[in-house]
Amino acid sequence: MGVNAVGNPLTNGRNIEVSNSKGRRNVRARRQTLIAIAFLLPNLLGFLAFTFLPVIFSFWMSFTNWSLKPAVKFEYVGLRNFIDLIGVHAIGRGDPDVLFIYVLSIIGFLGAGIGALWGNIADWKGTRLSSIIVGIAGLGFVVAGLVHLSDGLVLGGLVALICGVAGGFKDSEFSIGYGVLPGAILALTAAGLWCFQPAMAANYAPNDNYFYFYLYNTCYLMLGIPVSIGGSLAMAMLLNEELPTGPARERAIGGITCLALGLFLGGLLWALGKPDAGLICVIFWIVAALGISFNVVVYRTLFYLPTFTAGVALMILWMALYNPKTGPIDVGLAAIFGFFHIHATPPQWLADVAWAKSAMIIMGVWTGIGGTNMLLYLAGLSNVPKELIDAANVDGAGALDRFRHVTWPQLAPTTFFISIMSIIGGLQGGFDQARVMTQGGPAGSTTTLAYYIYQKAFSELDMGYAAAISWVLFLIVFVATAINWKFGKGLDSE
Amino acid sequence: MNQNKSGIRRYGFLVRLLVLSVLGVVISLPFVWMVSASFKPRAEVENINLVPIHPTARNYPIVLSIVPDPGTGKFVPMQFGRWYFNSVFIAVGTTLFQVLTSALAAFAFSRLQWRGRDTVFLMYLATMMIPGVVLMIPNYQTMVLFHFINTYHGLIIPAAFSAFGTFLLRQFMLSISPALDEAATIDGASPWMIFWDIIMPLARPGVIALTIITFLGAYQSFFWPLIMLSDSQLYPMSVGMLTLDSSYGQQTELIMAATVMNVVPLIVIFVTCQKFLVSGLQLGGVKG
Repeated sequence: MGVNAVGNPLTNGRNIEVSNSKGRRNVRARRQTLIAIAFLLPNLLGFLAFTFLPVIFSFWMSFTNWSLKPAVKFEYVGLRNFIDLIGVHAIGRGDPDVLFIYVLSIIGFLGAGIGALWGNIADWKGTRLSSIIVGIAGLGFVVAGLVHLSDGLVLGGLVALICGVAGGFKDSEFSIGYGVLPGAILALTAAGLWCFQPAMAANYAPNDNYFYFYLYNTCYLMLGIPVSIGGSLAMAMLLNEELPTGPARERAIGGITCLALGLFLGGLLWALGKPDAGLICVIFWIVAALGISFNVVVYRTLFYLPTFTAGVALMILWMALYNPKTGPIDVGLAAIFGFFHIHATPPQWLADVAWAKSAMIIMGVWTGIGGTNMLLYLAGLSNVPKELIDAANVDGAGALDRFRHVTWPQLAPTTFFISIMSIIGGLQGGFDQARVMTQGGPAGSTTTLAYYIYQKAFSELDMGYAAAISWVLFLIVFVATAINWKFGKGLDSE
Repeated sequence: MNQNKSGIRRYGFLVRLLVLSVLGVVISLPFVWMVSASFKPRAEVENINLVPIHPTARNYPIVLSIVPDPGTGKFVPMQFGRWYFNSVFIAVGTTLFQVLTSALAAFAFSRLQWRGRDTVFLMYLATMMIPGVVLMIPNYQTMVLFHFINTYHGLIIPAAFSAFGTFLLRQFMLSISPALDEAATIDGASPWMIFWDIIMPLARPGVIALTIITFLGAYQSFFWPLIMLSDSQLYPMSVGMLTLDSSYGQQTELIMAATVMNVVPLIVIFVTCQKFLVSGLQLGGVKG
């Protein structure tokens, strides 16, 4: 610009001035950009090298048969990895009708789920739409059930149909079921799909025998998430207000009294020949004494400890706890069973196909319940305006009403954030536990998709296929986040 | 009436104290058991008693390979000290680089005006959604290409850049008044001086929070060292603990002694730094 202005002698003074100042601004902007690039460069280089380019590389890789085995000759395979992963092939005669209806049912099931969520969270229009979707899904199940003579399907479908129709009338008494209805429908449609499973299994087999199983494992392990979130919220509400422990002198006296009492009682129990009870008693009174002296921060610290120390060491600790022969859980359970003359053997936990997932979930809940989620809820609770709660109190609202109509809606953005993060984490997770505690077993029952990718990539060295799985996983995470986002936004605006 | 209300308050206080204390005890029980098992002799470890009848501290020197295992008469093949050092070294290196690069980038994203700033930042944010497993395989290939397998820098360099850290510090820096850098610019301060002398001290809570989060993440990282390392001399604690389980068999008391030594430093760090960590985590979450 500046050069242009100088090069044109006919331009009058005012214009030159404007151009000059523009030029100066341009130079300044360019300088700013250069400075910004200098500041950004180290991070940007790393970002490009270890995040951005790998994303592209990985995407390309998923269309090849890239392998670390020298015997495999590199070639492009197009979509074959993906077809091998998620596709199915006919066995025996292979009935296309079955496949068609099955896929339709899955779509109906997902649609019912999304529609139910929508109806539960969004406005009336959404409710009606969800009811229509649910109704159609129900109808589909009835037809499918009649064709294949499966009474479970017919039953599930009928209930879904009735629920859908009932939900379609806003002022009907069924509308109280906004919370119950979607759950019931989802459970019933799931039952319907379950009934339809044998016909499908008789006619078709997945190309990858493991993928759907491991996807199921991953989703199953996520059952701990609602428990964990609910627990975090409950703990945050307990910790939200400072304990009214009084002035410093009273606190000190209270703390010392508790400590002395604890030591005395503990010592007494010990002297009476019950050292374990004594120890637990001492710990309890020490915790209480600390709580009186230093208030809720003590409990917050204590609750956060499992999250902070989480890692391989804690997993090894839990392996020892779950050990069926020597672990305290089973030894304790056996003692309890023996005391009440119950003839049952305690579960084998990590060694048992039926219990391994539950063991993982229990450990996950213990690790996460007082963790970051609780801190986020605490932050959210401190943002709830006092006036709202006071107003609710003046209106005579009970504790439950206050929670339902004031606290819970105010916490919606936090809940939204936490559930998104938990779902993303849950879908991608399970690797560490599987690797450290069970090697994915027993019989693959704790293998998640993340661990499957690891197995494919670093045990079977099949990098292209592993990359394809990771992209499918990404797609699942993306869809889950998008759904969450959509309905979370609805929650947000309420 | 007033007295009645204060009575209810007192009563509610006691109930809350009770519930919280019981929860605290329940949550800490696994830790208590861990410590207790680490002080038990072998004959006793299968009993359920929490207080060892014949407490012994001998498990610790056995794990540290100072004295031989009395059962086998051999030294336990565990390089505990070395793994400790590795973990701390890798964590410190990663933290140092990551906090520095994140702070620089966050400064560029929050305090400087340049074209395309928001687009680039959006790109950063978008990549936070991509699962680590997607990146793992190509990154491993890059490491093979650079001959970074089985090295310290192979563990530190890929972790030295983080979109999350940049995001967290940017949020902090945005909350600092822009008038400050304008005044400093008029006084003739260079951008570097603004960054180092003005913004960094003011963003200290965020920097400390990120430091703790990064350090912890790097200290506990498991996946990347596991695929990168085959030389047990270079193992960090997390991977080392894994070999411990197979080499000790069912010797719970030794495993627990090792676990205690692994967990206790973390507890100490946490109790001293938890104030900064909590505020940092809450800010990242609420504004995110």
